[in-house]
Amino acid sequence: MLQGTRDLLILRTLLPGPRYGHAIAKAIEFNSEVVLQVWSTDHFIRRCHRQIKRSWISVKEGTSENNRRSKFYRLTAKGRRPLDLETRKWDKLAGTIARILRPAE
Amino acid sequence: MRRRRRMLEELDADIREHIERETQDNVERGMTPEEARYAAMRKFGNVTLVKEDVREVWSSVWLGQLLQDVRYALRMLRKSPGFSAVAVLTLALGIGANTAIFSLVNGMLLRKPPVRDPNRLMVVSSKWAGNGGEWDRLPVSAPDFLDWRAQATAFNGMVAANFDDYTISGGTMPERVSGGRVSCDFFHTLGVAATLGRTILPGEDQPGHDHVVVLSDGLWKEKFGGDPGILGRVIRVNGNSHTIVGVMPRSFRLWDFDARMWVPLAFSPEELAPAARNTRFLRVFARLKAGITAKQAVAEMDTIAQRIAEAHPDTNKGWATAVKSLQEYSIEDGNVSTALLFLTVAVSFVLLIACANMANLLLARSLARQHEFAIRAALGAGRARLARQLLSECLILSLGGAGPGLLLAYWGMRALRAQMNWNEGAVSLAKTIQLDVRVLVFALVISAASAFVFGLLPALQVSRTDLKEGLRSSTGGRERHRLQRLLVIGQIALSLILLTSASLFIEGFLEEVRESAGFNIHNVLTASVSLRGLEYYGAPHREAAFFENALRNLGNLPETESAAVTSDLPFSFPNEKDFEVEGQPVPKPDEQPRCGYFIVSADYFATLQIPLLQGRGFNSSDNSNSSSTIIVDRAFARRYFANGNPIGRHLKVIEGSGARDKWMEIVGVVGDVNEFLGQRDSRPHFFEPFQAYPSGSMNFVVRTRSDAAGFSDGLRRAIWAVDGNQAVARVRTMEGVIADAGQGDDLMAEMMAAFAGIALALASIGIYGVISYIAGQRMHEMGIRMTLGARPNQVMRSVIRSGMSVAGIGVALGLMTSLALPRLIAASFNGFHASAVSALVAAPVVVAIAAFLACYVPARRAMRVEPMVALRHE
Repeated sequence: MLQGTRDLLILRTLLPGPRYGHAIAKAIEFNSEVVLQVWSTDHFIRRCHRQIKRSWISVKEGTSENNRRSKFYRLTAKGRRPLDLETRKWDKLAGTIARILRPAE
Repeated sequence: MRRRRRMLEELDADIREHIERETQDNVERGMTPEEARYAAMRKFGNVTLVKEDVREVWSSVWLGQLLQDVRYALRMLRKSPGFSAVAVLTLALGIGANTAIFSLVNGMLLRKPPVRDPNRLMVVSSKWAGNGGEWDRLPVSAPDFLDWRAQATAFNGMVAANFDDYTISGGTMPERVSGGRVSCDFFHTLGVAATLGRTILPGEDQPGHDHVVVLSDGLWKEKFGGDPGILGRVIRVNGNSHTIVGVMPRSFRLWDFDARMWVPLAFSPEELAPAARNTRFLRVFARLKAGITAKQAVAEMDTIAQRIAEAHPDTNKGWATAVKSLQEYSIEDGNVSTALLFLTVAVSFVLLIACANMANLLLARSLARQHEFAIRAALGAGRARLARQLLSECLILSLGGAGPGLLLAYWGMRALRAQMNWNEGAVSLAKTIQLDVRVLVFALVISAASAFVFGLLPALQVSRTDLKEGLRSSTGGRERHRLQRLLVIGQIALSLILLTSASLFIEGFLEEVRESAGFNIHNVLTASVSLRGLEYYGAPHREAAFFENALRNLGNLPETESAAVTSDLPFSFPNEKDFEVEGQPVPKPDEQPRCGYFIVSADYFATLQIPLLQGRGFNSSDNSNSSSTIIVDRAFARRYFANGNPIGRHLKVIEGSGARDKWMEIVGVVGDVNEFLGQRDSRPHFFEPFQAYPSGSMNFVVRTRSDAAGFSDGLRRAIWAVDGNQAVARVRTMEGVIADAGQGDDLMAEMMAAFAGIALALASIGIYGVISYIAGQRMHEMGIRMTLGARPNQVMRSVIRSGMSVAGIGVALGLMTSLALPRLIAASFNGFHASAVSALVAAPVVVAIAAFLACYVPARRAMRVEPMVALRHE
């Protein structure tokens, strides 16, 4: 998997609003089977901790939908920069690959 | 920190939650609880690893890994004590030599003079530019000084000092000491106070009020036993009574202007007369005003000097000023910074060679450790991590080398301090060589830096190692061999350069000197006696009588073989006089022949055993009544009587006053005596008989029957028998005189030789290591060759050939660079002469022999190998 992609997916998942830990993993899994084949949950935890340390995301204790205490993750202002950056990088890469794959269009 | 602990504490709960939720999801999908749990665990991945990784995220990784690296490195180094010992020793030599030299640089170039705000204390000198050069360190005349002080606005204070030798007496043994007549605000401007009593007060520079004296700490302790009640005591300075009013602190040594006592400077009417502008004898110090830069001060002084030169063209035309900080002024003096530059380059070569050795050792070792690195890489160590691991090993070795290196440096400094004894200045410099904080920091910094220098190549190599290759076997890389060879070539070239320069220095500074003094330097004691200031002053016949009586006393002693007096000793520049040669056209004023002269007593040539080449020496008939005889040296005869016999020809010596100009007959020609060390082309001199030209300031030379140094007291007693108040100064053996003239040149040569020796030894170890390594690598090949019928000799030759081809390139490179050395050294050191040929031939031969030996030993070992053993090796 490309460098920075995991971070990008986590950050993007948090863009609409805060979610609790397992929900992020689920959302990514739900949206992309491919990604999850190479991405086990331990990777997710590792990335989360790294992002917390870099203050890209913040944690807050809360209660999840079925009334369980859980950790909510929220995208911080500082986290928007890498999100933008990575998104742009990906768009560019995707566009380039698309052009190569379908040169006729 | 708190966040970190909380995050780690909750980690287990987080992991559990993830797995539980996943299990629940799985159950909802229809799995049995057990299946669901296993599937969730599987999906989660490695629980232990994630815990470790998260811990790493939150710990200060860098420090933790560093500690880990250090621990691992220590373990590795303990496992190969031979390698570690060689490495630590090699580095200790390099670091020790560099630290010792840095302590010299630190002491001589980086130190500050002991005055307040030393960077703003300037020395203002006269500058004269004439045909053939510019002199910007000349003293200043009294009227010039007074004009400068009145007109300059850039300074807060401007003071003058007249440094000279003074005879102090009164109570104890008379002694001649260096001293200064100084302006009354001298100490105030310098910003130093007395430790005992006071310094000189305003108004005490007026004639009649100037009978006070301030002592240096050294003089106070030596002469007066550090008596705290010394203030108020009266001593005689040059025969005049002065009251002791203060003692200066021990730290107050003004470098080039060191003095042991200070008296007020009261200008005499003669010193202030208009013509006295030509009598330049003062040293001027000035403190820059706040906000004024040195440049502005220079500009202002230039304008002032120009104004004075216009107002007094007959005395000041062509005279300008130079303004330098005291530090700049002192450092520029002599060859100190050049010598230090040479030494610094030499020791850094030594360190480079040591680093090359280390890099070679590590390259060889990293090959042996390739397997280990491959396993670590396979277990997940990143390349950067492996490289860092290797670098930390290097750092530890380096720091390990710094310890014994500092010890070596300490011994080196002690040896240096003991050797720096050629004159008072050197002794005071020697005191500045210390293992202070700056030196310690330097040692640490260079050891860390060299760790990177020698660790970089092997580290890069490791990070490039192919994992699969490494696991499979250990065949040597071609690239690695090339690197090792390159390093050896560099080492050999560097050590050849060092060896060549060392032999040049030895030849130029050491041997030359000892052989060509021009007379027998052994068993000669010298002393200088100056009658000025005592009651002899201005009474030539009394001066003559004094020295004649002293010589008679000396002649009666059983220890004395022969004794004489001379105006100047060998290995010093005598004063010069103009003269005319009989029968040769009277030259234009600016081509007036001029040369150095000595005033000597009759037995001078016999005492020093200077050969008489033609004619006769002086005898007692050459006294003042019939004085018209003169002796010249060989250089003089050659220059002015190239084709003829000088004996019986006449010279007219122009004495300046005109009163004594008369034709003198040349009665003898003597051998040349050097004026400075390493002098090749002797300059012409002539000798006048002492009895005809008595002077109050002479040097005794005494040839003793046994050890000259032991006769010091006998010499003093013989002189005091004539006058108990007469100071006897600078009692030295002739060897001491020569060492003084050398100004440490011999020390310099010895140090260069030591460095070259270390360099050669290190380079030889380097060659030896690489050749034995390559030979070891080729063991298999040799086994095959020998099985196929190659003779051991052939094998040995092939090993030696591979080593010597590398050494040859190194020698060639070093030799090419060395060709520039003789000129470089001659351009950097005054009076340096050495025939470069022998150095340029000998040094490569020595290096080649060392290289051959370093190849021969491993080659012999390779030759003795059993073919079957070699084949099984691997």
